[in-house]
Amino acid sequence: MELFNLFIESIFIENMVFMYFIGMCSYLAVSKTVKTSIGLGIAVVFVQIITVPVNFLVNKYFLVAGALSWLGPEYADVDLGFLSFIMFIAIIASMVQLVEMAVEKFSPALYNSLGIFLPLIAVNCAILGGSLFMQEREYETLAEASVYGLGSGFGWMVAIVIVAAIREKITYSNVPKPLKGLGITFIITGLIGIAFMSFMGIKL
Amino acid sequence: MNKNGNLYIFTYASVLVVGVAVVLTVASISLKPFQDKNVRIEKMQNILASIGIQSTAKNAEQIYDSKISEELIVSVDGQVTSVYENGKFTKGNLRAFDVDLKKELSSVQKTKKGNLPIFVADIDGKKYYIIPLLGKGLWSSIWGNIALEDDLNTVYGANFDHKSETPGLGAEIAQKPKAGEKVFSDQFKGKKIFDDASDFKSISVVKGGVANQKAIALDNGVDAISGGTLTSNGVTDMIKDCLVNYVNFIKTQKSSNESGN
Amino acid sequence: MSQEIKEREPMFSPKNMRLITNPFNKENPITVQVLGICSALAVTVKFEPAFMMALSVIAVAAIGNTIISVLRNTIPSRIRIIVQLVVVALLVILVDQILKAFSYDVSKQLSVFVGLIITNCILMGRYEAFAMQNKPWPSFLDGLGNGFGYGLILLLVAAFREIFSPSGSLTLPFFGTVKIVPQAFFDMGYVGNGMAILPPMALISVAIIIWIQRSRNEDLQEN
Repeated sequence: MELFNLFIESIFIENMVFMYFIGMCSYLAVSKTVKTSIGLGIAVVFVQIITVPVNFLVNKYFLVAGALSWLGPEYADVDLGFLSFIMFIAIIASMVQLVEMAVEKFSPALYNSLGIFLPLIAVNCAILGGSLFMQEREYETLAEASVYGLGSGFGWMVAIVIVAAIREKITYSNVPKPLKGLGITFIITGLIGIAFMSFMGIKL
Repeated sequence: MNKNGNLYIFTYASVLVVGVAVVLTVASISLKPFQDKNVRIEKMQNILASIGIQSTAKNAEQIYDSKISEELIVSVDGQVTSVYENGKFTKGNLRAFDVDLKKELSSVQKTKKGNLPIFVADIDGKKYYIIPLLGKGLWSSIWGNIALEDDLNTVYGANFDHKSETPGLGAEIAQKPKAGEKVFSDQFKGKKIFDDASDFKSISVVKGGVANQKAIALDNGVDAISGGTLTSNGVTDMIKDCLVNYVNFIKTQKSSNESGN
Repeated sequence: MSQEIKEREPMFSPKNMRLITNPFNKENPITVQVLGICSALAVTVKFEPAFMMALSVIAVAAIGNTIISVLRNTIPSRIRIIVQLVVVALLVILVDQILKAFSYDVSKQLSVFVGLIITNCILMGRYEAFAMQNKPWPSFLDGLGNGFGYGLILLLVAAFREIFSPSGSLTLPFFGTVKIVPQAFFDMGYVGNGMAILPPMALISVAIIIWIQRSRNEDLQEN
């Protein structure tokens, strides 16, 4: 129940895009059509499910103060916390590469639809953001971290698909010229953000 | 030299990684003392704020040393296991200041055992007991300190802080005291954590004004922040969950005070 | 030797100056190149953290651009993205450590967003697009310019949001809080806009900036 709560919370209440503006760059660049948005969304969910738990384990057993105590009592004082950024990004980059190779080998059909998005993802802040929030909020179990990874990725996908759908329709509307494209997308995102705020405080 | 040969790439990567690692380690080791000091000073400032002393980063350490006379560690069943007094241990060997509250609270929850910290302040010959709090608000962790007068019932003061509550709403719990204005933490002064029958009641943060409530006595409730209901609930839970661990200690302390008189 | 000096352009040639000034308007990283939006929006609730964030990004952009440009002829092209990432991560960790040591309050407010500078697309974008092909000095200026262009928007949005927030004041770094909306207004019943401190307002403020900029500069309008 706790986990389900966390899942719902990370999709709706703490939505990456609407509450923290994470992953905005690719969000703005790719949200022109629903089809590509779904593709990128799935890729983000996919990578998020893999990288957040992996980074969780790395954080727990290597980086946190005292994490190395399993190597022996003399390592109990070692604090490698300052390496977390570089470790996370390295893991994300290599995971993305691995996933790309695995998908290419085992499922060419999936590779054809997801393939072009995967390289984009290594520098998508939603992925690094997911890992950093996981670290910041000090999730205690692997299950919590995995559920958070899934939920936050899913929330990002929901956001990009919603906005892409609106953007597809709005091309036929008479938007003031200077606002066309980028400007109106910002405003739409802001308004959906306000709508999403009404989820605040929901606890199951 | 072939820049795309495997040997070159491999050597290049290794040199880069070693170089980066050296720079980072040097930076981390040389900056660590400053960072640790910041964390300690902030903790001291928070503890002092609960007894109404505002300190700056510069003088916090000095004021802390002069005002906080004892640091106690107590167990859930009320035994004092460690006393650190005026710079030295008179019992045990654990400073309340060095306790990781989060770890102890979760151990209390799981095993009913833990090292609970209490700070005793001595101001003009009067003793105040400061109990650190830690809990969850709407978004993320909230924490604070609550200071009790020497009857271990009446609240002398409190302060709260948060990591990421909504600015302007829930975040108002952390408002610093201002002259001529009643901020959230001021409301706690004079409230009681036990009811008339000396049962533990904690202090609840209630919506819609304490005066209008029947279930909660005026002494055991404060008004919630408007628009910050969920953060306020978090504060209520935090106070209750943290203070309840000290009830045994408070009761033993009270009875020894009474027999001492 | 003398010939080489002749070929070299002066330090602040018009071409180099444009590297700094262009990002303020025509090539602004946020409103035109659409890079680095995430952090721009998230840290703009108050002026002071926005200011520190802008400083951090300027430092990482300028220094990182210079480093990449110095190394550009040695970097194997197959691992260049990784090398760039390592350089950004190195600089960001340094910034984070320094903030934690000397500006603890601000580092608490910025929380994970310092770490997210790593994936701030401005940096990787400039490293890849400019520093890999240019000499260190122009690269340094380019980094500086893009950092400033980014910082400008950040500060505008932050100032806008803080002034219209219920406090009606502006927290300037080194000066303390300045009351912008006079007390008389509050006495007459003026209430700040609570919306201003909530996340969606950041998006709307940026949209307003884009609107103003694009209506003045029609080349930038999209069809």
